[in-house]
Amino acid sequence: MINPIVSANELVKTYSKGLIALNNISMVVNKKEVLVVMGPSGSGKSTLIRTFNGLESFDSGELEVVGITIGTDPEDRKVREIRKRVGMVFQQFNLFPHLSILENITLAPIQVQRKNRIEAEDHAMELLSQMGIEKQAKKYPIQLSGGEQQRVAIARSLAVNPELLLFDEPTSALDPERVNEVLDAMRKLAQDGMTMVVVTHEVSFAKEVADRVVFMDSGKIIETSSPNVFFNNAKEERSRKFLNQIIK
Amino acid sequence: MAILLMKKINKLINNVKRTMFTSSLDTFISLFITSILFVCTVKLSKWFFLKANWTVVEENIPLFLFGVFPADQRWRPSLWLIILISLVVLTLFTPSWSFFRKLLPFAWIAVIPIGIALLAGGIGLSPVASRYWGGLTLTIFLMMSSLFLAFPFGIILAFGRQSKLQLIKYFCSIYIETLRAIPLISILFFGQLLIPLFLPVEIEINRVLRSIIAFTLFVSAYIAEDIRGGLQAIPKSQIEAAKSLGFNTFQITRFILLPQVLQIALPALTNQAVGLLQNTSLMSILGLVELLGISRSLLANPKFIGQYMEVYVWLAAIYWFICTIMALVAQNIERKTTLVKLI
Ligand SMILES: Nc1ncnc2c1ncn2[C@@H]1O[C@H](COP(=O)(O)OP(=O)(O)O)[C@@H](O)[C@H]1O
Ligand SMILES: [Mg+2]
Repeated sequence: MINPIVSANELVKTYSKGLIALNNISMVVNKKEVLVVMGPSGSGKSTLIRTFNGLESFDSGELEVVGITIGTDPEDRKVREIRKRVGMVFQQFNLFPHLSILENITLAPIQVQRKNRIEAEDHAMELLSQMGIEKQAKKYPIQLSGGEQQRVAIARSLAVNPELLLFDEPTSALDPERVNEVLDAMRKLAQDGMTMVVVTHEVSFAKEVADRVVFMDSGKIIETSSPNVFFNNAKEERSRKFLNQIIK
Repeated sequence: MAILLMKKINKLINNVKRTMFTSSLDTFISLFITSILFVCTVKLSKWFFLKANWTVVEENIPLFLFGVFPADQRWRPSLWLIILISLVVLTLFTPSWSFFRKLLPFAWIAVIPIGIALLAGGIGLSPVASRYWGGLTLTIFLMMSSLFLAFPFGIILAFGRQSKLQLIKYFCSIYIETLRAIPLISILFFGQLLIPLFLPVEIEINRVLRSIIAFTLFVSAYIAEDIRGGLQAIPKSQIEAAKSLGFNTFQITRFILLPQVLQIALPALTNQAVGLLQNTSLMSILGLVELLGISRSLLANPKFIGQYMEVYVWLAAIYWFICTIMALVAQNIERKTTLVKLI
């Protein structure tokens, strides 16, 4: 049996004011799978995927990511080992504004993976042309549109050859006409067999690309279904209510 | 040409009319201030050109520049000042793309040991004790070496204050807040009186070094706060992005935080440098004959008695000149290193 890339068992996380952000979450992400996470705002989606690369800690439960187990009080070294092998794309792009596009992408390969500069730059240019923005390599983040910045962010996280990519609402901060260029890039990644966990409200993307959809509410996983079941015939009342709200 | 000039003058007159003479109260205030300015200017020019006796300045230029540095060795501080001026010129006029520009920061750092070697002597040069250093040379030396030391110290303090280790965090916070709460003059006094007490008798630290230490301790607390201001301007999400790429704390500091913080804090840091230059004059009451100190001892000379107006106007001009140059250099660095505006 092949081990899953992420396996979470009874994860619980409480924020300081007694707010339960993760309530007994158990789930797996398998290799080459695209898992879409949906749910109303504040349901704990971000918190969940941020525990996967150690940006958030948790209070109890078990978590194994890319074969590394992290506990409730993980060592820095272990967390960093995971982060080197797991990429993350944020809602707000979070590019480094003082570095050019090319430097944004090559910094981690050069400094973290100790690749030589020429090799790293070649790889970066390859990724940029895969994203359709190789012409922007010399520019700075503020000179790019949101959609382009997000594609740079994707290229940046791909530059370290991750085994898993986490997306936290990658298109929510974009102008509507810019959403598809980013989703297209993600579709391509899925076709190439990248393992991805995507928090998104993009129904058409989920229908088309997801292998499974996880629906969360109030820190709990309410339902895990294939997209076909989830969007046409959801098992749970709460899922149907949520879908009614986002698909008018 | 003439028409263009006329147009410009017209525009200026209109502007003046609009901003200064719209209402009767405006007109009154404008006339009042203008007449005061006029009277002051006339009186000052009269004093400047007719009454003032500038021989006190003219005769003592070497004293202002070098203090009581041995006369036959004055070429040494002169050489150092010339090196400094050349560096300023190079900094101002080297284009940002040139290879040479990458070397400039190292040149600016190297200029301090060069200054020590030239002033103190020892290696092939006859030694000159630090009590003979003085004048503008000493003023600039105090400022540059204190800044040079305070800069890394301030950066360490600023990052220490954000540290996750409580002990380091509290130590840095207490240090910064304490030094910012004490007036500089008392720190300088403590520096002169207390530092020798802490050291074994055999080790004697000279006055110049003691004051550099005191200035460094003081300025680093302020630099730390400027750096912290810059740190706070960087969104936390950027640090998260860096973490999720696998960077460790040192790499995040070195490649993500510092470059941005320095750019954001540069104007504030320039203020610290200018303030420090002016504050070096406090050492004149603590036994150093830097620019102000040498002037005070000059005024104590019966030959120049009562000519303090001339001397102080001259001093003001020198301080103004140096500060202006510093501001120009800072502006230039800002312009040439700012590829993109961060905030
Ligand atoms: N740093 C934090 N401190 C306190 N509460 C938080 C923090 N981050 C998130 N929360 C709370 O935890 C819950 C889950 O948040 P989040 O995971 O961001 O939800 P989602 O991404 O699904 O919108 C929300 O109620 C939110 O208010
Ligand atoms: Mg969220």
